[in-house]
Amino acid sequence: MKQEYLARAIVVTLLVLVLALPVIGKTLWRLQNPTVLEMRARLPESGGWSPSTITVRSGQLLTLRLTSEDVVHGFAIGKLDQPEIEILPGEFVETTLILSTPGKYVFYCTRWCGPNHWRMRGVINVIGDGPTPTPEPTPLYLGLEIDLDAPHQAEVIPDRVVEPQRGSKLQDRLPSYTLEQATYLSNSPASLWMRLRAEPSLRDLNDDDLWDLVAWVWEQHTSAQEIVAAQELYAENCAACHGETGKGDGVMMRDLPPPAPDNHTPAHNERTRPPDWSEPRQLLGASPALLAGKITRGGMGTGMPYWGPIFTPEQIDALVAYLYRFAWNALSKETPAHP
Amino acid sequence: MKHIKGMLLRITQPRWRAALIFILAAAIILGTPVPRSTTSTGQRYIRVEASRYAFTPEQINLSPGERVTIELVATDVKHGLSLDGYELDLEAEPGQPARATFVATQPGVYRFRCSVACGNLHPFMLGKIQVGPNLPLIRGSLLGAIAILIALYRPQHYDQSAPNGNH
Amino acid sequence: MATTELTRSSRIYSLLHSRWPQFVLRALTLAGFIFTILSGLWGSRVGSHNFAIIFVWIAWWSALKLFFIPLGGRTWCSICPIPLPGEWLQNKGILRSRGAQTQPGKRWPRFWRNTWLPVFGFVLVGWFGAVILTSPQATAFVLLGLFLLATVLSLIYERRAFCRYVCPIGGFTGLYARLAPPIVQVMQPSLCAIHTPKTCYEVCPWGQYPPALKTSANCGLCMECLRACPHENISLNLRPWGAELPSAAKLGLDDIFLALTMLTTAAIDTVIFLGHWGVFKSAAYTVGSPAWGIFAASFLLITLGIMPAFYTLVVWIAQRMRKERFSFKRSLAYYGPILLPLGLMSWMAFTLAFASTKSSYLLPVLSDPLGWGWNLLGLTNRVPTGQTSSFSLSLQTLLLAGGAMSAVETARKLSRSKRESMPLLAFIASYAWIMMWLLLG
Repeated sequence: MKQEYLARAIVVTLLVLVLALPVIGKTLWRLQNPTVLEMRARLPESGGWSPSTITVRSGQLLTLRLTSEDVVHGFAIGKLDQPEIEILPGEFVETTLILSTPGKYVFYCTRWCGPNHWRMRGVINVIGDGPTPTPEPTPLYLGLEIDLDAPHQAEVIPDRVVEPQRGSKLQDRLPSYTLEQATYLSNSPASLWMRLRAEPSLRDLNDDDLWDLVAWVWEQHTSAQEIVAAQELYAENCAACHGETGKGDGVMMRDLPPPAPDNHTPAHNERTRPPDWSEPRQLLGASPALLAGKITRGGMGTGMPYWGPIFTPEQIDALVAYLYRFAWNALSKETPAHP
Repeated sequence: MKHIKGMLLRITQPRWRAALIFILAAAIILGTPVPRSTTSTGQRYIRVEASRYAFTPEQINLSPGERVTIELVATDVKHGLSLDGYELDLEAEPGQPARATFVATQPGVYRFRCSVACGNLHPFMLGKIQVGPNLPLIRGSLLGAIAILIALYRPQHYDQSAPNGNH
Repeated sequence: MATTELTRSSRIYSLLHSRWPQFVLRALTLAGFIFTILSGLWGSRVGSHNFAIIFVWIAWWSALKLFFIPLGGRTWCSICPIPLPGEWLQNKGILRSRGAQTQPGKRWPRFWRNTWLPVFGFVLVGWFGAVILTSPQATAFVLLGLFLLATVLSLIYERRAFCRYVCPIGGFTGLYARLAPPIVQVMQPSLCAIHTPKTCYEVCPWGQYPPALKTSANCGLCMECLRACPHENISLNLRPWGAELPSAAKLGLDDIFLALTMLTTAAIDTVIFLGHWGVFKSAAYTVGSPAWGIFAASFLLITLGIMPAFYTLVVWIAQRMRKERFSFKRSLAYYGPILLPLGLMSWMAFTLAFASTKSSYLLPVLSDPLGWGWNLLGLTNRVPTGQTSSFSLSLQTLLLAGGAMSAVETARKLSRSKRESMPLLAFIASYAWIMMWLLLG
């Protein structure tokens, strides 16, 4: 009889151990890490971020324990300079944040996880005392009352390759307003060209010279570092839909029909691919304010994400400057694979 | 000396002979190395698309010595491509393809697999690269044929002393 | 190679006679089994980081197919935790055997006293295999289902009815146990002749009668008979591998069908899990989609239709070459033994191919069984992508060739003439070649 009771005791002990292991493990961990918040990433179709809203006091340490339950995701907070964190399925990675300025922060996924990847966003509400956040300037397109959804085909386009270096030789001929920031932002290359064409002092220059000048002006409003940074931003965020060469043939857009360039507000079942930027009329008719506006606000039903909460104004300006290269480079006889 | 003679006599009894011939055949067929190809025979560029859970193309046939550039294009999530037997491991995300080059020196059949966790069927996301003839299958077929012939032609020798009568 | 009597060694005999070694092993497997279910239900949804997936489909499955069955026959059944609570409830005690206190239980219905239910169970698991093998929750539900079913059946029916007539694992384990060395035998049949109570039969949970035991197919190696025999007349012996071929102690049609199902599912599983055709994998995985419908229909058609038809044709031709004919039904069963070594070797080759590239997951998952980010053994680290080694390929080739060799030898022993064995040869050669093409090429 004693043997029977011993046997039963062994069985019960083993079962209790086995049941206790997960319970004790989880409880112990919670006790040791009371302030750690577990953040689970799932495909947007399966729920996205969980939790999707966090509220924290300003200056308070926020430790996030990130994990993914299906594919590779990434974590980053919009408009902050912190590096992104890759989240591998089944793996855990911790990051600690201190947000001292109150306000609303948007965190987002940084690894393409399907066509709804850009919707995978969440909000961190930082409440309490702290420096008042500097308000962001109103996007220029609002101030200029530009209709972002109106077609913007260029009225004129160059008929040969533009060469900004040649344009730089003629820079002394340019009227002073040409190099002002406001002029750059509110004019498309085509509209600036038409203004210069109408200048009496430039009547002796031919059309091609004017295009070289416009291209040179465009170059002055950006820098080599900006272009490199924008190239990376574009590859990570835009290329999947817009294509590595800007043709609107990204892998995510394969199932959609080619674009109708005049319809910027399609119905849900009329979604098309993005426009082909290697077609010069597309971009050369758009002003930087318009492009910045589109990136900020997103498309109305086109599927273009709204990047306003994610990119800083500087990042958007860099991207805009980078985008024009798709058009400029399309005119050259040997179009490079990457502008 | 007597021990060895006795052992040899036992080994060449029919019931052990079959096993011996089989093992010998296996050693020769499976163990013979095939020379690596040292001369370069050409260049190829192959674009491999990866989606959950397949590669396109799924099978790639190469000639030994070919210099191959593979471009991995992911179409839905981040994927990887790791080729068995070669130091090739690429990772690509939608919008950011990756490229690598290798020389197909060793003939044979190799699987390439996804090396970035991309979902539940990720461990089974496979493709196949065949360099030259289908060597493993040829070896297997040869050995299989010999095995069948051995079984077919060895003398039927029933050992009367063993209780169950076989082997 | 003659039969070796293992229990001649008194150390081995006392190990088997005492209930404790087996009990300790079974208690441990029960604890592991419960932990597996918990891990599957509660742990990470990522299969590669969950104890349930790695330890069931890689560790335990490999151990079963590569060691337990080929070397030990039904040795897993002797330490299996699934029927444990049922047995304990039946015997009203853990260290008790079947006896006076055991509730009688109903006899298992005659219609199902065969391997048909295990066949259906195995086909069902194969149907949903792509989901079960990759989802920890699905694995947990399957195990829990078997566990509950075994317990409930133990309360209604006598003995280990679940194990013998329902369990899909038991089905093929018993089938291939005919090839494995262990067999329980009586030492002196004359003693049994004069022993009227037949205690060995009373205590046997499998309903076997040791004095008449000719095959290991339905003996779970539980050793209750060895413990109960008042004359200590029962021994555990090791006979040469494949000793039951070709007679294989009378295979029934249900056994033949199971053997054919095993052959088909080995090939289909190789296509789905180890093949390079992504369309089949997605079809097998997306349960409920039209693609899955096509997969499910094809799976059933091949398993229940094409393969049995092929075998039937082969048997029909072989039978015609034979001078004296049996009834057709008998000939289907008569030639069946060729399917056993062919099937076992194919499954071993598949298991080897399947598990060898994933073995590097074992230690990390022990370090973090639930996938919660623990690091119990300091071994939780990112697992490198596995590769097929040429050693593994060679081993698979040897297994498949060896299986074909053994099957052909069996075919020859069953045939009166070489002509008669030719169709059987064609069957064996074509199946073995298809498995080679799928696994190696």
